[in-house]
Amino acid sequence: MSKVIEVTDQNFEQAVLNSDIPIEVDFWAPWCGPCNMVTPIYDKLSEEYENFKFCKMNVDENKQTAMKYGIMSIPMQMFFVNGEKVDEILGAVPEQTIRSKVEEVLNKYPVDELGKFMKILTSWTEHNIKYSDNFRKWGEKAESLGDEAIYNSILQAAQEMEESNKRLSQLLNEFLRKI
Amino acid sequence: MKRGNIIVIGAGPAGLSAGFYSAYYGFSTMIFEENILGGEAAEIPFLDNYPGCNKKITGKELTDKMVQQCKETGGEIHQFEKAVELDFEGKQKFVKTEKFKYSAESVIIASGTHPKVLEVPGKKQFQGRGVSYCAVCDGAFFKNKRVIIVGEDSRAAEVAIYLSDIASITKLVCQKDKLCSEKILIDSLEKHNIEIIKGVELKEIKGELNVKSVVLSGKETESTKEIETDGIFFQLESIPNSQLVGESGIKLDDNGYIMVDKKNMTNINNVYAVGDVTECSVKLVSTAVSQAAVAVMDIVEHNNKSL
Repeated sequence: MSKVIEVTDQNFEQAVLNSDIPIEVDFWAPWCGPCNMVTPIYDKLSEEYENFKFCKMNVDENKQTAMKYGIMSIPMQMFFVNGEKVDEILGAVPEQTIRSKVEEVLNKYPVDELGKFMKILTSWTEHNIKYSDNFRKWGEKAESLGDEAIYNSILQAAQEMEESNKRLSQLLNEFLRKI
Repeated sequence: MKRGNIIVIGAGPAGLSAGFYSAYYGFSTMIFEENILGGEAAEIPFLDNYPGCNKKITGKELTDKMVQQCKETGGEIHQFEKAVELDFEGKQKFVKTEKFKYSAESVIIASGTHPKVLEVPGKKQFQGRGVSYCAVCDGAFFKNKRVIIVGEDSRAAEVAIYLSDIASITKLVCQKDKLCSEKILIDSLEKHNIEIIKGVELKEIKGELNVKSVVLSGKETESTKEIETDGIFFQLESIPNSQLVGESGIKLDDNGYIMVDKKNMTNINNVYAVGDVTECSVKLVSTAVSQAAVAVMDIVEHNNKSL
């Protein structure tokens, strides 16, 4: 049975913006043919995903929210995470397109504690890899200015960072293997 | 692989009619549509030039009936299933979609056309926020607002007339020097107080969250003019959806339309083409339906001969 939740202007903030899991809102109207074509897809997906909420809003009856987001074409599907709109799909699209978008949002904004931890760890290591290169470049620049002490300190810091990053990456791989 | 007698590619009026007639004459029939059922015809505001429809019927209402009739007769409609590979070399024809592989003795191409897209600054940014391609789908959002229609033929005129009943101000921007439309529609544009701005180019769409204005320029003078509007509806010329069939060896004319004989057969035996994707100069729902009937009756005839 469909688990799609009907939301209104009145409960939009509570049901959508305050949700602790990612949400998709399908803005639709009864007279919109293409909207009716995608409805069964959302009904189906709502039964499959537990960590993702599917909602729909009738724009004829709830003009305020549609206006707030500048909606002037439907079907319009918007994706919200932590009260922020993070993505959208305009028009009637195949199931696979919607499914991919849901997966993309879930990967980008994990909801379980382990997922969140992995996300932080991944972005941390990616960030370190990116900046250790910059560290080295700055170090080289300092050396060219003739300040060897600063250069050596920066180089040492960069090395320490690379080593700790290596350990973090190993930890991440161990986690991934366990999952 | 799934086998059938006839595969139809496209589910606009031509494809749905081909699907219906095929199923009606007892062929196992599969119809594939990559987008919405009804095709571009589902977006026609009112069909008052289709015989039997003396009371105004919308394109969506008519194509919904066609879908229902096709299904009830036994046509198997696969919506949102795009054909990605065609193999028409042997006696058995093969169609590979994004999901599965199918084969049949005959194939009817009814892939239709798509509207030309004008790439101007602001188009992408305001898509769904004032920039629209479907008056029937989005018209309700423009009640008592100002709209501009960009196009130069009967379709653009029909859309402008439809929107003028909803919007407060309707303008038709024709990039050519002359609107290529029937007199009855041109008279109707005047009756509906629709201003026609001819011989200008659309340069930019401006706005904040939604569309606020468009910038037009004279074709020769380079002088620009900004017109305030809440919406812009594109209704430009149609482009045939024939790239995939062209790659399969089917002959196209210089404009990309599929060339067919009197029975609507292409240069490949047992592969037919019907509707807007063909070189037929009259692009109406009625011609699409009749072409479909002609093609299926030819398959019926060939089938009877081989029995």
